[in-house]
Amino acid sequence: MRVANKTICDGVKYNLGNCTQEMYKANETVSTGKRINNLSDDPVGLTQALNIRSALSNIEQMQRNISSGNSWLASSESALTNVEDIISDTKALCVQMASATTGSSQRLSAAGTIQNMLDEIISLANTDVAGNYIFSGSKTDTTPFSSNGTYNGNDNAFTIKIGKDATVEVGSDGDAVFGNIFTTMSNLKAALESNNIGGIQDAISNLDGHFDDISARISDVGSKMNRMDVKEKIFQDINFANTDRLSKIEDADMAEAIMDLKAREFAYQAALTSSAKLMTLTLVDYM
Amino acid sequence: MSSLGMVLNIAKGALAAQQYGMNVTGHNIANVNTEGYSRQSPTLAPKQALLYQGMILGRGVETEQVTRSVDQFVENKLMQEKSSMLSSQEMEKYMQVLESIFSENSGTSISSMLSDYWNLWNDISNNPSGFSERTALYELSVLMSNQFKSLGPDLTQIQTDITNAVTVGVERINQITSEIGQINIKIVGMEANNVANDLRDKRNVLVSELNEYLNVKTFEQSNHSLSIVTARGCPLVQGDSNYELEMGGSNGDRVKWQDSAGNYVDITNYITNGKLGGLLDVRDRIISKYKLDLDEMAKEFIWSVNQQHSQGVGLEGFSTVTGTYAVTNSGEELGTQDSGLDYYKKISDGNFNLWVYDSSGAAVGSPITIDADTGGTTLFSLRDDINTNVSNVTASITTDGKLKIDADNGYTLGFSDDNANVLAALGINTFFSGSGAGNISINSTIVGNKNYIAAGQIDSTTGEFASGDNDNALAMTDLQYTSMDISQWTCDRVNGNTEGSITTTIEDYYHSMVGSIGIVSSSISRDRDFNEMMVNKLNTLRSSISAVSLDEEMTNLIKYQHAYQAAAKLITISDEMLNSLISAR
Repeated sequence: MRVANKTICDGVKYNLGNCTQEMYKANETVSTGKRINNLSDDPVGLTQALNIRSALSNIEQMQRNISSGNSWLASSESALTNVEDIISDTKALCVQMASATTGSSQRLSAAGTIQNMLDEIISLANTDVAGNYIFSGSKTDTTPFSSNGTYNGNDNAFTIKIGKDATVEVGSDGDAVFGNIFTTMSNLKAALESNNIGGIQDAISNLDGHFDDISARISDVGSKMNRMDVKEKIFQDINFANTDRLSKIEDADMAEAIMDLKAREFAYQAALTSSAKLMTLTLVDYM
Repeated sequence: MSSLGMVLNIAKGALAAQQYGMNVTGHNIANVNTEGYSRQSPTLAPKQALLYQGMILGRGVETEQVTRSVDQFVENKLMQEKSSMLSSQEMEKYMQVLESIFSENSGTSISSMLSDYWNLWNDISNNPSGFSERTALYELSVLMSNQFKSLGPDLTQIQTDITNAVTVGVERINQITSEIGQINIKIVGMEANNVANDLRDKRNVLVSELNEYLNVKTFEQSNHSLSIVTARGCPLVQGDSNYELEMGGSNGDRVKWQDSAGNYVDITNYITNGKLGGLLDVRDRIISKYKLDLDEMAKEFIWSVNQQHSQGVGLEGFSTVTGTYAVTNSGEELGTQDSGLDYYKKISDGNFNLWVYDSSGAAVGSPITIDADTGGTTLFSLRDDINTNVSNVTASITTDGKLKIDADNGYTLGFSDDNANVLAALGINTFFSGSGAGNISINSTIVGNKNYIAAGQIDSTTGEFASGDNDNALAMTDLQYTSMDISQWTCDRVNGNTEGSITTTIEDYYHSMVGSIGIVSSSISRDRDFNEMMVNKLNTLRSSISAVSLDEEMTNLIKYQHAYQAAAKLITISDEMLNSLISAR
């Protein structure tokens, strides 16, 4: 092929242009540490990265939801456990008071103890998490029980979201949990005051039922906490896998990127050296 | 008869021929860097021989013509490829701007804000009565609305910049075609006798530059003038006259060609190559699409949030509430286009409950029925229906065509169970106002009181609502997983824009939109790479045929120098021979 001066100049310009462009790209990768610096660098990867980022953001939120739900469940568990203890104490007291050897004055003073216990249960039923009552249904800003045991909440238990299509009731309809206990305690107090042994015996059998009921609720809370723990672990795993995938898509392999930059640098230097030599050669010098 | 005089004549011719050769070589050397110059070479040929007494006697050399080394096929191919290269170079330039607008590197990208938006609804569901969660959601929504609203003008700005670049291009095209017309006259005049090498080179350069702006076809006429035709068969140059292009149309963004009768032909959509082709393709095919798609996404996002929001209730009832969407005609059925509602299509047959609360909180609910069909509910009939059937509230229509419902003093009102979607379509009890990327805002009712952010729902039987109720917030968080039909546009410059639809979540729609910008952009970059490579190859080919090589010219210089010296020697020797002849006398 005939090589004219223009051929040489154009070729040098084109090739050096390519070299610098590639070097610039390689340098961009090294200096940002990212494979994808523009949408066009890897559009498919970018779309995946966006999907993963939004999934990660969603998982972080679900983890926040779970931690918020856990504090509700933990408060629930502790309140219910205390109530369970009180019920069992009450039952012990009842057994003692139902005995024929117990006198009416002892029963009368026991009535005072029962009132204290009742107050204590009401106070436990009015437990709140950061100002939100947990046994008030969805009326979380309303004290669920008045001092006389009247329920002011509703039956719409507070629910949190722990994943797509997955919700957990972390609050409770307080009336369903405590309503009957208050009745039993009030009746028991009246029976003690009126020295009514039959009433006390009725209370014992009712208290047994309440004890089982509360136990069942405690284990329900426990199983919910377990479920949330499992969910949390799953989220951690997904989180880890997604972060890993995201890094693989977005982040540059630094060793490779630096090697690449070095290779481009070398090619550029070589091109510069040979171009500089080639361009100065002319027959004119020898004439 | 051979004679010394004839030898001298031969020497004289040879001197002239070699000098001519030096001349052409000099011309070549001088033009070594001239763009579009084709090297020239003299064609030397022996003079017509003389037949004398049965002998053929050579009469020396003469320069027949000066030819230019050019391959018109390569020239044309190079012009076409250059045209494509400049088209893709321009496209790449503006695609880079488009990419930067949708850049995902900043924390203020729409996609990260969308994630945050759903997350903040989750936070509200965790603490529905909390004030800080509501404020956080509000602040983010303002940021996101502003981001949506700035994207539209940003895209329009690129389109305006492109139109300006096209205008500049059109001016240059008119200059070029006028110059070609003038050169045509000169070539026609000159080529009656000789080949106008340099003028042809100059005309080639101009045609090549014209190709850099748009797609043209050239035809050389028998009188050697060049006719040039562009898109839709519109002639740009015919003989010595040129037809001008100009910018026209209502926005001044259309390229128009004017015929001799003064009629305009809009050739905008048919300019396919060169800078103008690339610019117009980015403006009318690529950016137009993303503008429409962004708008569709915003439209569906606004709707889905509003539709869910209108089912809910905030921490307190409304004493007064006004819609954000206006009808153009209160007498037209709400579910028809004639009503002028942005979201008229979403209204269906059904009903909603309007709850009125007295100061003690006691609730009275009234079902309001909506008939979406022709002959059904109009804004007038809805207003009258409310006023007739619901006590202690007054419905009215504002002067700008929006529904307004006021509760009597001491009363408040709320809504539930709207399966007709009419509340969302009227903008009552909604979160966003607006219906696209350009006008998305927060409903002024919520701007005025964050307690109206509807985290809960009114009990459909008792009419009660509780501040700790998060039913609506939970339903709202489900929207991020919900697939919906979102329109997607295909823009074609010749066949117009067509609306399609895909079923996907809002976020996925946006992600794939950003991805598709990247795909378009990277394929344009690849085209540009390829075109540049092609141009480089063809340039090398053209250079190998037409460009000047100094080494060659130097060699020629020596060649002509030696031949000149030899011819001079011929004269000296002839002279000596003549002298000896004379002195022999």
